[in-house]
Amino acid sequence: MTGRRVVVTGLGVVSSLAPDREGTWAAMLAGRDGLGPLTRLDLPLEPAQMAGQVPLDARRHQTLCERMALLALVEALDGFHPGGDPGRLGVFQGAGTSGLPVAEAYLTERLAGRRGRAAEAAYQSPCTVTDALARRLGAEGPRSTVMNACSSSLLALGQAYERLAAGELDLAVAGGAESLCRTTYAGFSCLKAVDPKKCRPFSRDRAGLNLGEGAVQVLLEPLDLARARGATIFAEVLGYGASMDAHHPTAPHPEGEGAARALTMALRLGGLDPASVDLVSAHGTATPANDGAECLAIRRALGTAADSVSVTSTKSQFGHTLGAAGAFGAAAAILALRDQVVSPTLRLEDPDPACDLDCTARVARERQIRAALVNAFAFGGNNVSLALRRWEGR
Amino acid sequence: MSETRLVITGLGLVLPCGDGLDAARASLAAERACFADLPEALGMGRGAACTAFAPAGIIPPMQLRRLDRLSRFAWVAAHRAFEDAGLDTRSSGERVAVCVGTMSGGSEASEAFMRPYLQRGPEGASPMVFPNTVANAASGHLALAFGLKGPSATFVDRENAAFTALEQAARWLHSGQVEAALVLGADGLFPLLLDLCRGTRMLDRHGLPEAGSGRGFLPGEGAQAFLLERASDAAARGARPRATLWGLASRSAAEPSVEARSRALMAAVAALGGATPEHRVGGASGLPRLDVPEAALAAQHPHWPRAVHPKLLWGEFAGSGGQLLAAALLRQGGRTLVTAPASSGAQFAALLEAASLETP
Repeated sequence: MTGRRVVVTGLGVVSSLAPDREGTWAAMLAGRDGLGPLTRLDLPLEPAQMAGQVPLDARRHQTLCERMALLALVEALDGFHPGGDPGRLGVFQGAGTSGLPVAEAYLTERLAGRRGRAAEAAYQSPCTVTDALARRLGAEGPRSTVMNACSSSLLALGQAYERLAAGELDLAVAGGAESLCRTTYAGFSCLKAVDPKKCRPFSRDRAGLNLGEGAVQVLLEPLDLARARGATIFAEVLGYGASMDAHHPTAPHPEGEGAARALTMALRLGGLDPASVDLVSAHGTATPANDGAECLAIRRALGTAADSVSVTSTKSQFGHTLGAAGAFGAAAAILALRDQVVSPTLRLEDPDPACDLDCTARVARERQIRAALVNAFAFGGNNVSLALRRWEGR
Repeated sequence: MSETRLVITGLGLVLPCGDGLDAARASLAAERACFADLPEALGMGRGAACTAFAPAGIIPPMQLRRLDRLSRFAWVAAHRAFEDAGLDTRSSGERVAVCVGTMSGGSEASEAFMRPYLQRGPEGASPMVFPNTVANAASGHLALAFGLKGPSATFVDRENAAFTALEQAARWLHSGQVEAALVLGADGLFPLLLDLCRGTRMLDRHGLPEAGSGRGFLPGEGAQAFLLERASDAAARGARPRATLWGLASRSAAEPSVEARSRALMAAVAALGGATPEHRVGGASGLPRLDVPEAALAAQHPHWPRAVHPKLLWGEFAGSGGQLLAAALLRQGGRTLVTAPASSGAQFAALLEAASLETP
């Protein structure tokens, strides 16, 4: 898409590593993860008891998702109070579970023969978070809540980009928030997709994912307006691609066919030469099916340029944050572009030969990063890739 | 957005008033409500259920087993829309997007998954049911069924999710990323939804919702599928447009008061231009937070035609706004203004012009 150039001018992160962006990033670069024993949910019969938990709790009338999303927004704004026409401020969110813990609590009460808090459950729909962010921002422009499972928040970033590039908005907030809940924990567990140990993306012996929680909010603006107000520019957004596999309800296409189309579309719409891509912030779930197919997709899209690209997976630090996962991947890429350093894929001791790319094993690596791609794939065969470029002051 | 004209070339409906466009048209013309006591499997109370829904012959039995109620509706509605548009997607699937709007997507399966899990622990968890707990399960099923490989998005913006879906589809068409987009509104009834609505006293206890009564709404279900194309592409393949989408606008309220939502709805309508519509479709449901903005709009435009409110006939969340768009397409000729207030997110307005029914 051509039009106004769009830049990232704010980034807020609430993660299982730290309650803020720089704390999270420093811990990632230091090789730490936020994974630990599952304590938020009481599921003693589940074989896997590992999760990436944020040390915050829900409040009365405020889900944990909403609380984390608002904290991330405050950090992304960094004291900035957007003015101008509120109709040109948009909020785009990707959601996964959102208010599901409240619905689970209600169902538990009802099964026990009690009344339960129906109002609490009824009003905690996924768009409650979107509305809360819009209220905080004073936004009266477009607002949407996309639920594409694990690619939700990356698509939300794409939506924000295309509206800004089209000149329809002056500012947008995009991202996602996710909290642990029983439905997803039990669900991935019954699919045998959860690793009882810490997950190992791209490893030969990878045995599944860990679930995680957290929130990322990204502030996006047209370049001219960002410059005019003297905003700090983290990176430039170039475009995104999206596709469906039409292959299987839950499993990715084994050769990464649909994912490769999303990557190729992101390159084309972003005007990026594959040779200029130095980083792929991968979906990298550590499930046997995903990682090999994703590496094949990266090869298909980048061709020989894949030999020199660095790949990393944030799942090794945070677990799989589902609806927020794409935004976490984007945050890692944005900060990598800013600081010219790739965060590591932790616990990658024995790489799978099927993942024959440089997957940044165990330690962070300083290198030139001109452009980055971010991947998020999902149930239903949904694929999204976002193209970003280093901001070099022009 | 650019000014490329978009047309709807395919329409497929699954509604509580019965199968087919004629049944829907008759229900709308007579303003005949479809509420009745619900079958026990769907929940306790009154609602508008698709009791005559018959997917046999469209959904293969093996697939039918794996689908939740909403996905079944979506599949049949999509099948009818593609058939109506005369579009075979098997060869062009990469150029077809899917945009779904739903309030209840994934929720029916979430209840079906969690109920036995909470009662019996991990042995009650079904790996067959879990994949349907995501809101975008329907779009995944549609991709498989019709070979759709373009971009996809599922929106959950309460009453107006289908409008958000339409907006995204229009954007992908305008940008040239796809040649066609399947837009769907789809919702299914399930017991926990009824239980929740009753618990919050949002349901009309008189059995028939009425705009402005303040008594509440009644739930409904169904799916509405629209095949959206650029007018030039439709003409090139000889497709007959059912309707032209002349405009779509939204505005949100920064704070949740009904006054702010009313102002936002009026701003969305104003963004479409000031022309007097020939027909009106409104989003009143019996719930004050939706009825008041509609009433305020009508008071500001006393010369406008009286609005028909499909939610009073087919129920709320029965397509999350898709039922309003369907009603506009069932009109014969003339421009229809659709106004869609919502309790959350953006307030929408759309201007559609349906072709004459006799048009070959």
